[in-house]
Amino acid sequence: MEAQDRFCEYLSGVSPVWCPGCGYYGILAALVEAFAELNLPTKELALISGIGCASRLPYFVKTYGFHGIHGRALPIAQGVKTANPDLTVVVVGGDGDGLAIGGGHFPHVARNNVDLTYLLFNNAIYGMTKGQFSPTTSLFSTTKTSPFGLPGDAINPAALAIMYGASYVARGFSVKKEHLRDLIIQGMRHPGFSFIEILTSCSSFNTIDMNVARIIKDQTLVDKDHDTEDRMAALRLASDEKQIHLGVYYQSRRPSLEDKFKEMQRLAQAKRETSLDALVKRYL
Amino acid sequence: MSYDFTLRVAGESGEGVITIGETVGRLAAREGLNLITFRTFPAEIKGGPCMIQLRLSDQKVAYHGEKVDCLVTLNQAALDENIADLREDGVLLCEAECELPAEPSSRTVYQLPFDRLAVREIGSRISKNIVVLGALAHLLKIPKKRIEEFLTERFARKGQAILEHNRKALETGTRVAEAKVSPKNAFRFPKGTDQARMLITGNEAIALGATVAGMRYFFGYPITPASEIMEWLAAHLPKLGGKVLQTEDEISAICGVAGASWAGGRAMTATSGPGVSLMSETIGLLSIAEIPAVIVDSQRGGPSTGMPTKTEQSDLLLAVYGSHGDAPRLVIAPIEECLSMIGLAFDLAEKYQLPAIFLVDQALSARLETVDPAAAKRAPAAARLCADGGGVNNFARYRLGESAVSPAAIPGTPRCEHMVTGMEHDELGNFACDDETHTAMTVKRFRKLAAVESDPLSRGLSSQFGDSNADIGIVTWGSSAGPVEEAVKVAEQQGIAVRAIVPKILNPLPHEELRRFFQSVKKVIVPELNFVGQFASLLRSTYRIPTISLTKIKGVPLEPSEILSVIGETAASLSVRRTSRYGSAR
Repeated sequence: MEAQDRFCEYLSGVSPVWCPGCGYYGILAALVEAFAELNLPTKELALISGIGCASRLPYFVKTYGFHGIHGRALPIAQGVKTANPDLTVVVVGGDGDGLAIGGGHFPHVARNNVDLTYLLFNNAIYGMTKGQFSPTTSLFSTTKTSPFGLPGDAINPAALAIMYGASYVARGFSVKKEHLRDLIIQGMRHPGFSFIEILTSCSSFNTIDMNVARIIKDQTLVDKDHDTEDRMAALRLASDEKQIHLGVYYQSRRPSLEDKFKEMQRLAQAKRETSLDALVKRYL
Repeated sequence: MSYDFTLRVAGESGEGVITIGETVGRLAAREGLNLITFRTFPAEIKGGPCMIQLRLSDQKVAYHGEKVDCLVTLNQAALDENIADLREDGVLLCEAECELPAEPSSRTVYQLPFDRLAVREIGSRISKNIVVLGALAHLLKIPKKRIEEFLTERFARKGQAILEHNRKALETGTRVAEAKVSPKNAFRFPKGTDQARMLITGNEAIALGATVAGMRYFFGYPITPASEIMEWLAAHLPKLGGKVLQTEDEISAICGVAGASWAGGRAMTATSGPGVSLMSETIGLLSIAEIPAVIVDSQRGGPSTGMPTKTEQSDLLLAVYGSHGDAPRLVIAPIEECLSMIGLAFDLAEKYQLPAIFLVDQALSARLETVDPAAAKRAPAAARLCADGGGVNNFARYRLGESAVSPAAIPGTPRCEHMVTGMEHDELGNFACDDETHTAMTVKRFRKLAAVESDPLSRGLSSQFGDSNADIGIVTWGSSAGPVEEAVKVAEQQGIAVRAIVPKILNPLPHEELRRFFQSVKKVIVPELNFVGQFASLLRSTYRIPTISLTKIKGVPLEPSEILSVIGETAASLSVRRTSRYGSAR
C-alpha cells in the first residue's frame, strides 16, 4: 500500500475544532503524512499534548493519545518513554504551553535527550483563551492583555532548543506542508530528542506576527552547505533576524535517556546485592 | 517477666553516635527482639547535637519511650541536654571529663575516659564510638562475639587494618568497663530466638516495599525528609531493571509517574508537603484520567518551607482534597509496617485506577524499627484491569457499566487506540462538556471509592486497642498511634478505661468501623500533630460527632503523658457530669 492510501488509517474520525483558516490543519496533514510515510503501526504511536489549540490535535489522530495538563506534555512523554521505550512518542503543543507555563521542562527533557519528537506550533498568540500575548509575540504588540505594549521581548524557540541540548533542531512552516512532513520524518527517525518549531498562523487572533505573506517573502531554505553538526552555525541560522531559514539547523548523535538508563542498570548489576533477597538481607 | 529497656546515646554529630545505636539495635533485632527508635538531626550539615534512642522489648513496641533506663553521653553538652530524661534508678555512662549535675541523685554513674582511650590506646579519636560500644557490650551483657561478627560484616570492605583497629577498640572499651561496672548494674540482654527481625528505617522500608511491590519507575525531586527514598532507589532499583530519574521539579516528577503508569508500569514518586502542593494539579489529572499512581508524602512542619527537618501531620486535608474540582483519590496512612503497606497502596491504586497518597511523616520516615521479614515477601494482590486487544475499534476506555472500574488499555495493545484526558470526556475519551456526561463520569469516579470501602483488600485496616467497653475513645492516625497506644496502656494501669481506633486508610474512611466505634463511646479524643485539628475536622464533618481535639506543633511526636493528661481531664468531666446529676457541687 502506498503512503497516501494509508493516510486515512491514522485519522480518528473526530473533526478538528480549529477555526477556518487555521494553520494547524496543514500541520495535522503533514504529521499524518509522516506517520503514513514511516508506516508506523497506530498501536505503537503515543501522541502527547498539554493544553491549548495545538494540544487538541491527538483527538483527531488514531493513536494512543494523552491530553494532559497545561505545560506538562514533555514530562509526561518522558515518563511514557521511560516505561516503554518501544513506543514512538510525539509531543505537540503551542508556544504558550511549551515556553511559558511549560518552559521549565523544555531544557531538561532536551538535555536528557529523550528519544521523542516535539512539535512546537508557534503562532505567537494564545488562541484558545482568545488573544492574549504569548512568549513569542513581538510585532503584534497590542493584544488583549497588552493594550499598551508588551512587557518583554520574544523568545526564539529554535535557538533555545539548540542551547538546551536538543540533538535535532529544525524550523518548518505550516504552509509548506511537504517540507514540514520531511522535517517531521527526519526528526522521528532521529534517535534522541528532536525539536521542530513550526511557524503557523492564528487566523482569529494573530495575523501580524505570523503573517503568511510576510513569512513567504522572508523565508529561505537552509543552505545546502550548512554544517548541521556545527552548533554555533546552527544558532546563527536560528537567530537570524533578517531572514527566516527553514530546514534542519542542528543534528548530532549522543546517548539518549534510554541509553543512559541501560548503562546505569549495567553498572548497578555489577555491584553487590543484585537480587531482591539480597536487598532484604541488608536489614537482617 | 518481659523485657523492656530504653537506651539513649547522645553526642555531637560526627562522633559515631548513630553507629553505636544502630549496632545495638541490629544485634537486638537479630535476637528477635522488637525495637523502635527515635533520633534527632542537627539543622547543620556538619556538627551539632544528635541523639538516638532505642526501646527494646520482647513484646510489640509502639513508642520509643519517654524516660530512659540507660543514657550514654559523649560530651558535656550531650550530658546537660539529656540527663533530665534518665530515670532516677537509671544508669549513666559518660565521658570521664564531664562535670556531673550538682543536685544529688540516685542514678548509677560510670565515668569512663573514652576520648583518652581512643587517642592513647587505639591512636585515633574516630575509634571513640567503638570504645563506647565495647563498654556498652559489657553493661548490656551483649556477647562480644556477636558485636565482633557484626562489625566485621559492616566494615569488611574497609580492609583488615580497620577491622583490627575496631577489634582493639572494642576490647579496650570492654576491659575498662569490666573494671568499673558493678555486675549488679548490668542489664540483661535476652537470649536469642531464631526469628531474626529486620531493622529498617521508614524511608528504606518504603523504597524496599515499593520495589517488592513491582514498582520499577521512580521520578522524584530531592526534598527533606523524603530524599532517602530516591537515594535508595537510585542505588538499587537499576539492579532489578528499574529506572530512577531525578527531575527538574516535583511537577515533572508526578507527570513522569503519570506517563510511565499510563504506559503500563508501576510508578511512584516521593516528596514532602511542598512537593504535594506542586503536584496537586496532576493528582487531579490522574484522578479524572483514571491513571494509577503512588505518591509518598513524608510530612514535615509548617506551610511553605516551614520546618523542613521537623515532623508534623498537617498535610491530611491536602492529601484528601488537594486539587481543584471533585477529584477522588486514595489516602493511606501507615502507623508502622511501611514495608507491606506501600504494597497495598500499589494494589489499591492499580485495581481502582486511582492516585494513592501514602501519608507518612518525618518521624516515621527517619525512625529505625524492627519489621517482620515476612513483610518483604508480600506479593502484589491486585492488578490493573486491562483490555487484551481482542476487541474491535472504538475502545471505550471510560465505559459506564455495572462496575465503576472500566478496563484500561496499555499503549501497544492492538485495536484499543484511545485518548486519556484531563478534560471531561465521554466513554471513548473524547472531550464532552455537557452536564449529563460530567455527572455520569463524576459519579463513576466516586463509585470507585465506595468499592474500595467494601474491598477485602482494605478491610481490617484499622488498628484497635484498649478496653472495648470504655466510654472514652481515641481516634488518631499515622505515627501518633504509637504514643496513643502507650498512653492507653498507662491509663489502664491507672484505672481509666480507654479504647482507641487508628484507621490506616483515610480516604475513603472505614465508615462501618468508625460508626460502630463512635456509637460505643461517650467522648472522642483526636490527638494529632497539627494546629487546627485536621483529622478531628474531617471526622466532625463526616460523622457529625463532637470531638476533643488534642493538637501539637512542636516538630516532635506526641508524648504519652500529653495524651494521658487529656484522658484524665476527659475522665474527670465524665464523672463530674455523673455526680452533678445528684446535685453535688464541684
